[in-house]
Amino acid sequence: MQHRGWFETGFAFGILALALGTAAAEDELRVVIKDHQFSPSEVKVKANTKLKLIISNEDATAEEFESFSLNREKVVRAGQSITIFLPPLKPGSYDFFGDFHPDTAKGKVIAE
Amino acid sequence: MLGTFIITWRETIEAALIVGILLTYLKKIGQSKQFRFVYWGAFWAVLASLAFAGISEFLSAFLRDIGQDIFEAAILFLATAVLTHMVVWMHHNAREIKGELQQQAELAISKNRLWALATLAFVGVFREGIETVLFLWGLFLQGGRFESVAPPVMGGLLGVGLGVLMTWLFFKGFGHLDLRPFFRVSGMILIFMSAGMLSSGIGKLVAAGLVPPLIEPIWNTSRLLSERSFIGSLVAGIFGYRSSPSLIQVIFYLLYFPITLIWLRRQSHDLAQ
Repeated sequence: MQHRGWFETGFAFGILALALGTAAAEDELRVVIKDHQFSPSEVKVKANTKLKLIISNEDATAEEFESFSLNREKVVRAGQSITIFLPPLKPGSYDFFGDFHPDTAKGKVIAE
Repeated sequence: MLGTFIITWRETIEAALIVGILLTYLKKIGQSKQFRFVYWGAFWAVLASLAFAGISEFLSAFLRDIGQDIFEAAILFLATAVLTHMVVWMHHNAREIKGELQQQAELAISKNRLWALATLAFVGVFREGIETVLFLWGLFLQGGRFESVAPPVMGGLLGVGLGVLMTWLFFKGFGHLDLRPFFRVSGMILIFMSAGMLSSGIGKLVAAGLVPPLIEPIWNTSRLLSERSFIGSLVAGIFGYRSSPSLIQVIFYLLYFPITLIWLRRQSHDLAQ
């Protein structure tokens, strides 16, 4: 009986994860890193809407996407891409930068 | 050069702090001969970081979307578990110290504990190691594009060196504390680090879209204390400070303390009986 309990709990969590993952359709936005710069460097998004930010790195070196105001930090390896999920944002400007090249790799998400 | 210096310095300090606490602790309980377990853990972590950065292309499918977040969350949760285990064990040890003004004690340490120590050294270094290796490797690759790659690479390596040196000096002084205050302070540091790691692990799952943030951000203190400032980066490394955390991260951070304290208390009760 106890095994079954565990199994059911796991199953419930699986369903929950699936439900959360697919709960609402997100807006999808793409940003490219090239020559240690983000393009576009200003990403305009709808406020109060879930977002999916896809960041691809076309440089030959790794970069780290980092934003304190968005509370995200993620390495993008050379020639690869990553997906960042963002919650519905309040209207405003959110800075991000490349932690490996903070002087050149700068950008912001503008929610309006 | 300064930019690369600061990045590797910051990563190194966080890793060196864990290794430093472990080494000082072993010395304090008269187990200096077991340093090798900590060195092993740290050494293998450096190798694993190199290997992991090297094989990243083969892991691209795994690391592409949310694989990286899940992997990092798993490492952070492992770190939380091992750190908590350490705290409980240190608390237990602290109770065996009789004299108030003792500098050193002779306490037994089991093989299992030593492996836990090695694991903690491994996790502490590996966590920061992957990033540092990718970063330094990137600097080397840029050699073709810029005039000279030497200054930034030197800066990066100096950052690692200074990070280790600073932590070493810190523990030189910290190690002179008497046993009681030493146990108390290092226990506190580890508990805060552990709560911070638990909360960043949850943050990774939020970023992967697997855990709802509830409210994100719950506050924004970036103007008061930014993680980019010197103090901010130290507070972030040691206490897990985030300027714009999500509510779920704050909940896990805050829940960690009472749960660990209740566990510690129960341990003391068991020992008393």
